[in-house]
Amino acid sequence: MRYLSVFATLSLLLCVVSPANAHALLDHANPRVGSTVAVGPTELLLWFTQKLEPAFSRVEVRDSNGARVYEGRVQVDPADASLLRVALKPLPSGTYEVRWQVLSVDTHTTEGRFLFTVRK
Amino acid sequence: MKITVNINWLCDGLVAALAGLLPLSAAQAHCFVGIRFLPATLNIDDPCVADELSLPTVSRSKTGDVPSATALEISGDISKRITENLGISIGTDWTRLDTPGSARTSGFGNLATTVQYQLVKDAPHELAMSAGISVDWGGTAAKALGADSFSTITPSLQFGKGMGDLPDTMGWARPLALTGQVGYSVPTRSSTKTVDADTGLVSSASNPQFLTYGATLQYSMPYLRSSVVDLDLPAFLNHLIPIVEAQFATPVANNAGIGIRTTGTINPGVIWVGNYFQVGVEAIVPINRDSGTGVGFLAQLHLYLDDIFPRTIGQPLFGPQISTAKPLLEN
Repeated sequence: MRYLSVFATLSLLLCVVSPANAHALLDHANPRVGSTVAVGPTELLLWFTQKLEPAFSRVEVRDSNGARVYEGRVQVDPADASLLRVALKPLPSGTYEVRWQVLSVDTHTTEGRFLFTVRK
Repeated sequence: MKITVNINWLCDGLVAALAGLLPLSAAQAHCFVGIRFLPATLNIDDPCVADELSLPTVSRSKTGDVPSATALEISGDISKRITENLGISIGTDWTRLDTPGSARTSGFGNLATTVQYQLVKDAPHELAMSAGISVDWGGTAAKALGADSFSTITPSLQFGKGMGDLPDTMGWARPLALTGQVGYSVPTRSSTKTVDADTGLVSSASNPQFLTYGATLQYSMPYLRSSVVDLDLPAFLNHLIPIVEAQFATPVANNAGIGIRTTGTINPGVIWVGNYFQVGVEAIVPINRDSGTGVGFLAQLHLYLDDIFPRTIGQPLFGPQISTAKPLLEN
């Protein structure tokens, strides 16, 4: 039983010693992942599960031909460091691919990809 | 004694970390392969080297003995990266056996250690592979349980493959992932002699070599939500990974005349994945009488040390210092 006592003590120590941050995973998006919208959005919003490092957090939005449909800089929202936003060009009907890569404040990188469709 | 050494080492690590001696690095640590996260599975080793702690793992099942004994097992193990691709783990278990008509027995099993090396992490294809050597150290267990007095060495290969590279028209299948493990267990002693306490007769039993193998099939609801379609399900469901694990052991050498056949279990269950830990629950279904009787259960709390302590003991001890993320995208 002494081994388990050691493990239990260790795990308790691990849980109380310091505050922590984890991998930044995509929590939800607007337009929603895999959704079909009737009106082309003017901005893409990505909410993550952790705060992001602005300098190393990136997003691409491309149409089915691979052309860029976003403009300006990708920005981490000043009021919410877990929100990434990028302005979009006017979007005609079609399917769009979003690719993101972010660095959370604890130095873990994560990446992802999803589609949304505009059908007017 | 070995545990004490490791605790001292961990304490040293904590002190060093507090002193800011450990480097910061950009890493993905526990089992991320591109956009795929492969959870730590309860029976089959996952294919990644990581900093993690499984404590406790609790199981209750009935053995394949006649008469069948009820086994309650509580185990724990900790894994630590030495470099980005090389890790070690150490673990042990405590078992209580209740056999009808016999006195209850309990005690610790043999200490088990593993050295694991990350062979492949192919992000676009969500493919990970690792190789390891595990040693079950004979003579470190409680004798009352009848644990092996000899050590067993098991080289093994682990793999994991996400289905994220399927076409978007098969989006429903992209959250699927398959992981597996193949190993070969070699006892350090080919036979074990026992002396009958009453008659004084000496008998010898062969210690067979086993091929061990298993696989998991899992469906990631977090992957479905973040990469395929957000169905606006309740948050709890979005953290679940339904899973089926199967593991088997087949004697393949030094097994003549000892009447051992393939044993194994199939474990359907589910893993809830959070930011800092995961909780897994599975049923244990024996594949034959030799593997056990009735349906048992298995549960595990698993902590992601790289997320709980990203700047200290959640880092590899050695390795290249990476100060920024390597950009894949260009804006």
